[in-house]
Amino acid sequence: MDEIGVKSLGIVLLTGLFTGMVLALQSSVQLKTFGATMYIGNLVSASMIRELGPVLAGLMVAGRVGSGIAAQLGSMRVTEQIDALNTLGTDPIKKLVTPRVLAALIMLPVLTVINDFVGIIGGNIIAAFVIGLPTSQYWRTVWDQIAADGFTMRYIPNDFVQGLSKPLVFGGLISITACYFGLGTTGGTEGVGVSTTRTVVTSSILILIVDYFITQLLLSVLSYGA
Amino acid sequence: MAPDRDTKTLEERRQGDRRADAGQSSDDRSTAVREAIRSELESEIALGRSRRLRGPDSPPVVEVDHVSLAFDNPILEDVSFAAREGETIALVGESGTGKSTALKLILRLLIPDKGRVLIDGEDITHLSFEEALEVRQKMGMVFQGAALFDSMSVFENVAYPLREHTDLDEDQIRKRVEEKLQFVDLDPSRVMDQLPSELSGGMRKRVGIARGMANDAEIMLYDEPTSGLDPLTTSTITRLIMKLQRELKVTSLVVSHDIRSVFRMASKVALLYDRKITFFGTPEEMMASEDKYIQDFLGA
Repeated sequence: MDEIGVKSLGIVLLTGLFTGMVLALQSSVQLKTFGATMYIGNLVSASMIRELGPVLAGLMVAGRVGSGIAAQLGSMRVTEQIDALNTLGTDPIKKLVTPRVLAALIMLPVLTVINDFVGIIGGNIIAAFVIGLPTSQYWRTVWDQIAADGFTMRYIPNDFVQGLSKPLVFGGLISITACYFGLGTTGGTEGVGVSTTRTVVTSSILILIVDYFITQLLLSVLSYGA
Repeated sequence: MAPDRDTKTLEERRQGDRRADAGQSSDDRSTAVREAIRSELESEIALGRSRRLRGPDSPPVVEVDHVSLAFDNPILEDVSFAAREGETIALVGESGTGKSTALKLILRLLIPDKGRVLIDGEDITHLSFEEALEVRQKMGMVFQGAALFDSMSVFENVAYPLREHTDLDEDQIRKRVEEKLQFVDLDPSRVMDQLPSELSGGMRKRVGIARGMANDAEIMLYDEPTSGLDPLTTSTITRLIMKLQRELKVTSLVVSHDIRSVFRMASKVALLYDRKITFFGTPEEMMASEDKYIQDFLGA
């Protein structure tokens, strides 16, 4: 939990902050042509909460934590430590996989919320200092956007449902992929490198593909704009 | 004085070489070498005379019964051997003949395609995963590279099976770990807090043995316990395995390339060749065998 959550915080904070900032900066150029820079808050919040927050946190964790899990379990496999667990009467799945999957399931949504929040603050910084939009107005448009996207069960914003269900799935994807490739390592230390690379590539691609399908599913299930 | 002795030995060797050059045929020389190896192996057998050999009436603790296994290629074909209580069975053979695979079958890390593996008379071939975990608690395994958990200290490694499978409290666990470390000739106060990466190869092997026997396993399995160790450490580990069989009456299976330690510690030797067991008997019987391959294998 500490490894996946706390130690990934720095990288996620940086990613979130700069994504929010660049999002605000880029969109300000486009919005300016329509004289609509006041809607920057809407754009940043919708993009961050629905898409960029979960996906970027997912990709960062896949790179940082997924690779770590694969390398750790891979080297345990090639040095016979997994066999040792088995012979000492312990189920390696229970001992090694379950806690990692649980930690990822819990920590990825937490990291995503932080990522979203820091991204929106990044947008706020650009809005205030580059575009000259008052902070109060920025935050009002952020909230307007969340409210405009509708609510599930009256009180839960649809954006939050989308923004939190995705990292939950991504957390599972990353940890299971990493454990699968890690435990399946063969071929000594070279094999550990192969498993690590496969984990990062596979989980990153899976995140992007699964993100599309979750979005499509949720857009049809949740009553957007209602 | 040591330097004199060294000089003398060198001088003797030079004389020997000169004699050899002077006209001994290569056949004579190889006969001499073979004789030397033979007498060395016989002295190893003599050193291990105290080892236990049980009569056929005592029930086997580990029995491998007509086992065959193949992955892409056949690994083992119709392999049978048994270890009776307190016996040490050595599995020898060239590399890649399936010796370590046989150990994995006994641990039920692998399931045979044909045949049965019996532990204490119980067929473990068809056990469920959970039942297999249970059976494995009777066994302690010492891996080739020791396979210590490198994120845990020596203490945590040896305490691991105790924490997993017993209700001992922290004091009792500490006492038991100290006892086991002392048994393998390690100073608990010095090594307990060290990480496996801080230990030498021989020390890691000994911690591996301590972990394997922590739960008072009745069967110990060793995969190449002496490979990659210097001759002195090899002899220490061999003595340790013999101490385990002598003092704790543990039944042992040892996979090894080191024929000298095998002859010292084994009650019986199983020679694997071409996926089959071509010889199963005492070291004395092995020495007496006329079989060309066995004689070549022993180098005698």
